[in-house]
Amino acid sequence: MAVILSLEQAPPFAAPLRFFLTAPLFGMAVAALVVVSGEELFASRWTPAALAATHLITVGFMLQIMIGALFQLLPVVAGAQMRRPLATARVVHALLAAGALLLAAAFLTQQAQLFVLAGALLGGGVLLFVTTALFALRGLGADSASVRDIRRALFGLTVTLAFGLMLVGGLAGAFAVPLPQVADIHLSWGLVGWGGVLLAGVAYVVVPMFQLTPSFPGWFERHFSLAVLVFLIAWSVLDLAGWSLAARLFASVVALAGGVLAAITLRLQTQSKRAKLDSTQQCWRFAMGSALAAAILWLTMSALVLAGDSRPAWFSSLLEETPAPTQFVDGSGWVLLCGVLVLVGAFMTAMNGMLYKIVPFLVWLHARNAGGRGTPAPNMRQVLGEPLMLRQARTHFLACALLVLAAFGVPFLALAGGVALFVAQALLLANLLKAAGVYRRHLRASMAAAAA
Amino acid sequence: MLSIRDFMSSDHRHCDDLFAAVEAVLEHAQAERLPAAQAAFASFATAIEAHFTAEETLLFPAFEDASGMRFGPTAVMRDEHEQMREQIRLAGDALAAGSADDYAGEAETLLILMQQHNVKEEGILYPMCDRQLVAGAERLVGQIAGCMSGAGA
Repeated sequence: MAVILSLEQAPPFAAPLRFFLTAPLFGMAVAALVVVSGEELFASRWTPAALAATHLITVGFMLQIMIGALFQLLPVVAGAQMRRPLATARVVHALLAAGALLLAAAFLTQQAQLFVLAGALLGGGVLLFVTTALFALRGLGADSASVRDIRRALFGLTVTLAFGLMLVGGLAGAFAVPLPQVADIHLSWGLVGWGGVLLAGVAYVVVPMFQLTPSFPGWFERHFSLAVLVFLIAWSVLDLAGWSLAARLFASVVALAGGVLAAITLRLQTQSKRAKLDSTQQCWRFAMGSALAAAILWLTMSALVLAGDSRPAWFSSLLEETPAPTQFVDGSGWVLLCGVLVLVGAFMTAMNGMLYKIVPFLVWLHARNAGGRGTPAPNMRQVLGEPLMLRQARTHFLACALLVLAAFGVPFLALAGGVALFVAQALLLANLLKAAGVYRRHLRASMAAAAA
Repeated sequence: MLSIRDFMSSDHRHCDDLFAAVEAVLEHAQAERLPAAQAAFASFATAIEAHFTAEETLLFPAFEDASGMRFGPTAVMRDEHEQMREQIRLAGDALAAGSADDYAGEAETLLILMQQHNVKEEGILYPMCDRQLVAGAERLVGQIAGCMSGAGA
């Protein structure tokens, strides 16, 4: 695979950093919501609290980090030069951050104007970013799997936005929309067509690079993103046309593809040459394990719900012992559980781990470029020590485990999970601020050395 | 026939193994941890320096002569060799000073520099070399192998 990594083309540090520093604030907001409204949140995925929490994670935490990382990756990995990266980053960041907050507020208060305002801000932010990114990517060869998958992921993001805006229109009462059906299509495009495709495209480069593993299998790199997008399109069309059984079949194939991505990544990681599992590697393993668990759960439960009355006896007896059996019969209970596994267990964890490579490396890179001979750049461990990262990562793992149990219907664990998540996100913010502080001090020291 | 890309890429993997061996010693060795790690690091540094030297004295000049590109990809690769030499020196200094933690910090940066450099060479430069140097490839690979084993001895 041809990838041009040009460190000289890195954008100003402030462009990606603002996104990375904002993400844990949204993480803390989600955690606070879990603490305050845990019972409502875990009662059903359609409650205002659950919808607000979902969007604080996806639009607040995930989108911030993904867009921030793309501001860095597009020039460095893909060789795509963005026009005025810092100015664009400022506007996109402000629109997305304000939009995410308003969207959460809209779900919690159910006010039509808030939905419209949030939709306008998020639509503006996403479209501005996608346009700038595609413009920067124009004319670049299609021979790099990463460039190709970044383009495809941007398509996935645009489709997610389109369905999201349709839902906003429905929720604001502007026109009639079959809300649950469109919501499912919207979320699958967001999580798989955008999140999954981007994660895979980044994984092809960073998993072998940071963890010294063999490359991803060629057939997988060549076909994964296109296959996933084709299945998503088929599912969406069939579902909207009312062919629900066929739609469910394609949905299962999409879940299977996600499971295969997780399984291959886990298998590669077992072949890592590195002696010690650092915090990033532990995060990746935890994330892929969660994604695999979610895929297996989704496929199994989907088959069991479809089976209806011909379900095996053990499943029926299991349901009778569950605190909220009806939800596990109609499917909403296990969808909620899958949601916790995919959002908090897989995506948040993988991104958390990536930040622990990206941010210390960027501090080193920008410090080295700024400093003269007299002020050596701090090494990556001096920027952020492994014990601090491990402590935060383990707190996050604990939060994930508690929230998974809460999704099984143990209310008091929602409170404990919310508190643990809040602590984990606060520690993440503290770690990132510490790294940024090392950079600031280095800049001051090298300016003082230059003046002397 | 062994292509330039295959031969040089497998030497990258060899250097990766030696890099990983230093971490393994630091992680697992019970006694004499630092001297053992210093010895492992010296093997790594010798191997990667032999790789750089073979490229700078044999492969790059041959490519530059055949393609006429003197300030193209090979110039970028030479710059990156210098960056990595500096980083190897810092990592070696940290081990010599007895600080495993500073070594880990410098090595982490070195690993990223090394890997992004390898991806570029294996994905772009080596395939260009294979296209440009069809005629003398076999002899050139023999010379490179000789140069590397001479440096390692």
